[in-house]
This record gives sequence, C-alpha cells and structure tokens, in this order.
Amino acid sequence: MHSNKYIFLYSSAMVILVAVALTVVAVQLKPAQKNNIRIEKMQNILAAANINSTTKDAEILFKKFITEDVVVNSKGEIINGEQAFPVNLELETKKPPEKRLLPVFICTKENGEKNYIVPLRGKGLWGPIWGYVAFKKDFNTIAGAMFDHKSETPGLGAEINTSAFRQQFKEKQIFDALGKYMPVRTVKGGAKKNDLHGVDAITGGTLTSNGLSNMLQDGLSVYVEYFNKQKK
Amino acid sequence: MENFFNILIKAIFTGNMIFSFFLGMCSYLAVSKTIKTSMGLGVAVTFMLVITAPLNWLLNTYLLKAGALSWLGENYKDVDLSYLSFMIFIATIAAMTQLVEMMVEKFAPALYNALGIFLPLIAVNCAILGVSLFMQEREYTFSELLAFALGSGIGWWLAIVSMAAIREKIRYSNIPKPLQGLGIAFIITGLMGIAFMSFMGIKI
Amino acid sequence: MSTTKKDKEPVFSLKNMRLLTSPFNLNNPITVLVLGICSALAVTVQMKPAIIMALSVTIVTAFSSLIISVLRNTIPPSIRIIVQLIVVASLVIIVDQVLKAYVYDVSKKLSIFVGLIITNCIIMGRLEAFAMQNKPIPSFIDGIGNGIGYGMILVVVAFFRELLGSGKLLGMSVIPHSFYEMGYRDNGMMILPPMALITIGVIIWVQRSRNKSLIEK
Repeated sequence: MHSNKYIFLYSSAMVILVAVALTVVAVQLKPAQKNNIRIEKMQNILAAANINSTTKDAEILFKKFITEDVVVNSKGEIINGEQAFPVNLELETKKPPEKRLLPVFICTKENGEKNYIVPLRGKGLWGPIWGYVAFKKDFNTIAGAMFDHKSETPGLGAEINTSAFRQQFKEKQIFDALGKYMPVRTVKGGAKKNDLHGVDAITGGTLTSNGLSNMLQDGLSVYVEYFNKQKK
Repeated sequence: MENFFNILIKAIFTGNMIFSFFLGMCSYLAVSKTIKTSMGLGVAVTFMLVITAPLNWLLNTYLLKAGALSWLGENYKDVDLSYLSFMIFIATIAAMTQLVEMMVEKFAPALYNALGIFLPLIAVNCAILGVSLFMQEREYTFSELLAFALGSGIGWWLAIVSMAAIREKIRYSNIPKPLQGLGIAFIITGLMGIAFMSFMGIKI
Repeated sequence: MSTTKKDKEPVFSLKNMRLLTSPFNLNNPITVLVLGICSALAVTVQMKPAIIMALSVTIVTAFSSLIISVLRNTIPPSIRIIVQLIVVASLVIIVDQVLKAYVYDVSKKLSIFVGLIITNCIIMGRLEAFAMQNKPIPSFIDGIGNGIGYGMILVVVAFFRELLGSGKLLGMSVIPHSFYEMGYRDNGMMILPPMALITIGVIIWVQRSRNKSLIEK
C-alpha cells in the first residue's frame, strides 16, 4: 500500500505537470485559433455582400472590397475613433439600445456599387444565432444576407445557414412605401409571392425562424435613424 | 418565469438528452432492463444534474469564461481559462458524486440502499457532463440553467423508465434472433425518438 | 496504415495483431460491448465530422492507454479513477485545442461532442480492463484497435445518413442529377437524430446474422 504522503505528492505532481502542459498547448495554439475566428468573421461579412471567399483569400478579399467601416449609435450619429471590426456584438446586444456601438461595413464592388453591411445577433431555439445583412445604397433593399448558428437542430433550424434560405432575402425591403420601418420576417407556411417583407419560414424549424425574425426586428431597428439620415 | 417553463419543457421533450443528443446511452441501455432499477438511476441522475450544473455554472462564470476573472481586478480582465473547462467540469462532477455518495450513506441509509449502487455510475454518465457543456455553449443565465438541468434530468428519467417498461413487455414478443437484445433496443429508442420529435415547435 | 507498420516493427506479433483487429468485429466496442455510444452519434450526420471524431477518439484512447500503462505501477489504487480522468481530460483538451486551431469548420460542427470524449465509456473501460494490467505497447495497440473499431461504426452510420439524407458523401453530391428529375428525393428523416439509432440497430442485426455466436440468449 502507498502512504498518504505518497498519494499526496503523486497527485500534486500530476496536477502541476498537467497544468503546465495544457497551458503551453493553449498559449501556443491561441494565435491560430484567434485567426480562425477573425477569418470566419471576414468570410461572413463578405458572404452577406455575395462575395464567395475561401479561408485562404478571405483576408485579401476583405481588404479589397470592404473599403470603409463606421461605428454609429442608435441616433444615427457616427462615433469617431471606433473601429467596426473589433466590436463584440455579444457584449453590445446586452447593453440598452441607446448605448450600443453599431458597426457598419461598407463594401465597394468592382462596378462601383456600394453595399452597407450590418451585423445582427439573436437567439434561436437552442443557442445564439447571428448574421450579416447587406443593404443597397437606398438603405432599404437587401442585397444579400448571411446567417449562422451555434447549436440549432440539424436538418431543421440549422437550415438557416443554407444558401437556399439566404437567397430569399435578396430584393426584400425593410421600409414600406411610406417609409415606415417594417423589417423582413419569416412567414410560417410560406410568404406570398409579392410580399416585400416576408420570406418562407423553415419547415420544422418554426422556433428558430421566429428567433430569426426577432433578431431582424431588434437588430435592424437600432439602425433606422442612421439609415434615414443617410437616405437624405 | 415564462422562459423557465419554456426551457424546462424543451429540455424534457424536444431536446431530450437521450433521443436527440444520445447522451447517457451507456447506462441507459445497460440499466433499462427492469422498471425498478431504472427508476433508481433516473432519480439519481436528475439529482446529480441539479447539483452539478449550477456549480459548474458558477465556476464557468467566475473562473473560466473569457473575462470571468475581472472581479479580481483590472489586470485579470483578459484572462481566458476556458480551455480548462473540460477538466474543471469533470473534476467537479467526480468530486460531487463522491461527496454525495458519502453524505447519503451517512445521513440517509435508506436512500443509500436504493440509490447507492448507481451513484458511481454517474461520474461517467455523459448526460451530466453534457448539460454542463451545453450550458457553456448556449450561454444560459442561472435561472435558465436550473430549468435546463432539471428538464434534462426529468427527460432522461422519463426516457429510461419508458424504455424499461417496453423492454419488460417485449420479452414475450417473437423478435428475429439476431435482433434480440441490443439490436431491438436501439431500434425502439429510435422509434421513441421519432415520437418525441413530434413535440417540436411546441410553444408555451 | 497498419500494414506498412507491420513490416517494420517486430512489436506486431500475432498476439498484438489480434489485439488490434478483434475490436473490429467480435469485440466491437459499440455493437458487442455496448460502450461509448453516448458521445458521438450526434456527429454522424455527415462523413467529415464523423471521420475527425473517429480519429480524435482513436488518438485519445491510444495515448491514454499508453500513459496509464506506463504509470500503472506507480498509481496509488485509491486515486486510480481520478488519475485516469485527469489523463483522459488533458488529452481531450489538447485534441480540442488542436482542432480549433487547424480544422476550425469541423470543430464548430463537433461542438460539445469533443468534450464528451472524456466520458466515453470505451476509454475508461479499456484503461480499467486492459491498460492497468498490461505493458505499454500492447496497451497502445489495444487502444488503437478499440478506437478504430468504434470509429468504423461511426463512419458507416455517417455514410448512410449522409448518402440517404442529403445525397452527398464528404460534402460532394453523388446522386446523379437525373435521379432527382425522375422524382427521387433526399430523405430528410435520415438527418434527424433518431435515425442514427435505427441505423445502428440494423448494423447490429446484420452483424449478428452473419455471426451467430454473438446472438443474445
């Protein structure tokens, strides 16, 4: 049998050894992991503006197309000295709307057309969902959208990140003919053909679709003032 | 409060630990031969979930998460220990099972006789670790987590007891030889899972 | 992979080879020993995550067996389980960090299921049943064998679910377009979790029909 002292020393040695080994691994790999997250964000933003990128060329394409970025507040005023890319939406959405930093990425296409991309974050059925929506220069018509999720049901709610679902958002509008705010929402059982403010909800993914509608409603409403100012 | 019940119901039915995430399958298949033992294990799992999940939530929020150590001072604001979370979670679970086993043995011998043999099995029940990991991934608040832990436990309990009930009856059926035992257990679980999926989209 | 190694290393004696291959069929951890089903079935919707998961489990089983076997005479019996858990948990953390750094898209799909390798009964089971009593090299081989035996089932399940559920293999469409024009549809049901269980049930059925000795009384 082993003495208590042996057991104690054995476990202490084990804990220290393991702690050192894990810390070394974690510190070594941290830069690569952070870079992956950064590249993914770039790819998402580009995807909203309908630019396909791979993990390799995302950085170059991002520099080429995303020519400008601004951070605004809910009154539509531009906040100087803030960068759009590092803004952490997870923290921002927890603040009250008037205190949030609201990033806008401006994408200039090869033909000179400008897209204005805003990030969104909300709750799906299980966990967080997020996305990016690109607007045309009228600040009303959607040019493209990109959504992703952490843990929605595969085959059902998880469909929000498929291109079939995302393509529906093209040419939809977030203001009605009188200029009143009316965001795009998901319609259970399918949207009417000429509905400018609705897309088909996902069959079997109703709660995820509802979460997505809420995310669009809340996430875009804070930008209304900025959009109205830009239109003039 | 509304959210509490919503998560509870979701965790019991649509996101049942066994039918949609396959967590805790080992003990589920091994112990679901009679209703009595499966009742015991079901209670034990629910009990441990309600104890370990909140504990792991506290550890995650005040120790592991990126920025969790900010209560120590400005210098620790950027410390991110989340890579240690697997280790911390499993250690908490193993330690808690041991502790609960000893306490139950000392203070409630009757309960110990009923649950005792199941407690050691729980340390390696994936459902327990799974709830803690889901909690971290889905960013639950404390009350949401309580609902989720309770719901997952009840869901698991419900699943194992109904499975045991079916298996007690199925002994008298004429099943193709190669399918008997494990094979049919898997298929029944699958069919039950399909039945549980019809709760999908339920809203409270 | 195992054949090239076999020529070079004498450690692959007949006995060791049997250790490696018996988990593939007669001692398959999933279909015969009912171990380790928990953590990994949810990743069998597509082939790629299933393969990565199988690899990760194999690596963790093999190396934890090796480490525990090397330490087996020094571990105090009273803290045996904790020591095993710590070794397994550290290996899993390392695997998780590496996946996050180098195959980020797959690691997102595996989400919490990498962490659940820790409670995979196969690993603890092999440590208790084999590595605690045997020398490092046979333990290592036993770990690899069990990891592969387990991974095989995962990949087979994923193969059918991806093929029938989304008409793809490893993300590439394999069902000819003309099939769809003739009215063929992907079976969305296969993507849902319960079908993984039924698929395994069928695999067990097939295996036991071919191998009568495994039939339960």
